[in-house]
Amino acid sequence: MAHLDDFEGLTPAWCPGCGNFAIKKAFKEAMVELGLEPHQITIVSGIGQSGKFPHYVRCNTFNGLHGRTLPVATGLRLANHGMPVLAFAGDGDCYGEGGNHLIHAMRRNISVKLFVHDNQIYGLTKGQASPTTAEGTVMKIQPFGVQSEPLNPLALAVALDCSFVARGFAGDGDHLKGLIKEAMDHRGFSLLDILQPCVTFNKVNTYDWYKTRCYHIEPDYNPENRVQAFEKALEFGDRIPIGILYRNHRHTYEDGIPMIKETPLVKQPFDLSAMKGILEEFY
Amino acid sequence: MKKQLMSGNAALGEAAVLSGCTCYFGYPITPQNELTEYMAKRMPEVPGGTFIQSESEIAAINMVLGASVAGARAMTSSSSPGMSLKQEGISYLAADELPAVIINMVRGGPGMGNISPAQSDYLQATRGGGHGDYRTIVLAPSSVQELADAVPVAFDLADSYRNPVIILGDGMLGQMMEPVSFDHIRQEKVYPKDYILTGAKGRPARKIHSLLFDTKLEEEHNWKLFRKYKGMEQNEVRFETFLVDDAEMVVIAYGTSARIAKGAIRRLRQENLKVGLIRPITLWPFPTNIIRETATRVKDFFVFEMSTGQLIEDVRLALEGRGHIHFYGRPGGVIPTPVELFRIVSRHYYQSQQVKK
Ligand SMILES: Cc1ncc(C[n+]2csc(CCOP(=O)(O)OP(=O)(O)O)c2C)c(N)n1
Ligand SMILES: [Mg+2]
Repeated sequence: MAHLDDFEGLTPAWCPGCGNFAIKKAFKEAMVELGLEPHQITIVSGIGQSGKFPHYVRCNTFNGLHGRTLPVATGLRLANHGMPVLAFAGDGDCYGEGGNHLIHAMRRNISVKLFVHDNQIYGLTKGQASPTTAEGTVMKIQPFGVQSEPLNPLALAVALDCSFVARGFAGDGDHLKGLIKEAMDHRGFSLLDILQPCVTFNKVNTYDWYKTRCYHIEPDYNPENRVQAFEKALEFGDRIPIGILYRNHRHTYEDGIPMIKETPLVKQPFDLSAMKGILEEFY
Repeated sequence: MKKQLMSGNAALGEAAVLSGCTCYFGYPITPQNELTEYMAKRMPEVPGGTFIQSESEIAAINMVLGASVAGARAMTSSSSPGMSLKQEGISYLAADELPAVIINMVRGGPGMGNISPAQSDYLQATRGGGHGDYRTIVLAPSSVQELADAVPVAFDLADSYRNPVIILGDGMLGQMMEPVSFDHIRQEKVYPKDYILTGAKGRPARKIHSLLFDTKLEEEHNWKLFRKYKGMEQNEVRFETFLVDDAEMVVIAYGTSARIAKGAIRRLRQENLKVGLIRPITLWPFPTNIIRETATRVKDFFVFEMSTGQLIEDVRLALEGRGHIHFYGRPGGVIPTPVELFRIVSRHYYQSQQVKK
């Protein structure tokens, strides 16, 4: 059994009070409670304050290019679907730069667990609007306010029949831990959007702002009703639902590939003699 | 000449506005964010001015394509990783013979690298960068004033050749503040844009595309572009020489490296070491002839750049075996100091004198 400390990585260079600390804590607890050890999991991240996440925890890490988290995670997962592959991305990273990849990862239903540190801002580049920044918000390069409607990642996900759609809040650690565990346990692609206050650059979406709005989704809510889930996903204003919004049981992308059904690709023997017939035919 | 203290990134922005740039599209990336910030604030003050923070660099360069097709002076900027993403659009601009100005404030690479100044995108910039047989004019300023000066030149070159023009700076030039004047920037020349999409009433429709299935047509298009690039090579080479007349060793460096080299050369001169500088201002077309001419008199050339050796390839091609090339490069975002370069160059200088004796 692993202990919390086993998942400890480098000392974070996040600002004091950053919502990322709570995500890190919830993540470590979830891994320990799931009985996972650091060597058993791989985290892929992009670029951003969120992208630094796997540096600050112990695990197999691939920190790639801005926006390209999901294609890399897809490749990893197809080569070794015996290993849990987690993707940590920012709202800019995976709803902006890599938005196209998100759409296709959800379509494919590859079993990658995507955790989005959604601080409604570009943190690392010091405070530009992100795709989830509210319309009208004045930011560093939006001096007259954001002119586009914000992206609603959860409505997008439900519309695309994403197989697991949830929202957590960094200010509600235990609840977040539960959602991380659910996302991990789900078969198929999981999107967990985590509201994460950026205390330095986002002066609008503060802890208080989220606290007064976030509520736990009612216990009698049925996350398997897609139309109802879409309605729930549209709720983002005075009240923000947190919990599992939608879940289905579509077959995964890995399930559909007969060659890796029994054994992950990396565990299969490398046997040149299997090529013998083909070689003989052509030479 | 009223001067103001400005960062290189902001100076690029103001110079672009004064050069008639009405469309700027950008995506945040350090160390060029101040340019995007400047344009966000300044563009709304410009008649017809448009600013967009795009969803990605690929979107930004393609927005530039669209604005250029419609006849506007359009610009985008980024730093190394973002510049890689823009290459598909730059290739397309070149193929379609569309003007645009693209700024790259280079940072340490490859991959994600870091946000410190570097010169490691030289080959990407000077060899086209994207796919296909094409070239872009590449300007390499070395001070905040020169950044501002390069912008109107870049827009004029882009319009007169109908070709994308790159300004290659780096994180240091972008971030540092120096006094700068914009008094000289005037939009005098008018370019007849008889190729843009303005509506086809009363004339045949214009179709802008680079899809040429017929290989003969594609070949002819490539030769046409080639002839244009030959014209650039003949007419657009720009460089600066510094203390070259009596030099026994000539440093070749551009941009930030050239500034550092000048500092080193001043020290070397105090010690009576006869060292000069040739500074390419256009990296493409490359100032081959001045280097070749200098080689009739000087045997020792010293290439200095903030990379493991990219500019050196062009120097080698220029010299074609005449003369001896010395090299000092530091990659990864490290900025060598003038004192450091002074020590290295003087060592090489004395050693080659020993050989000559
Ligand atoms: C190709 C490329 N474009 C731009 C950048 C600059 N960049 C670094 S992080 C980032 C976005 C950060 O925002 P987000 O993804 O929301 O992460 P956060 O820092 O808020 O966690 C950007 C644009 C980059 N590194 N690479
Ligand atoms: Mg963010």
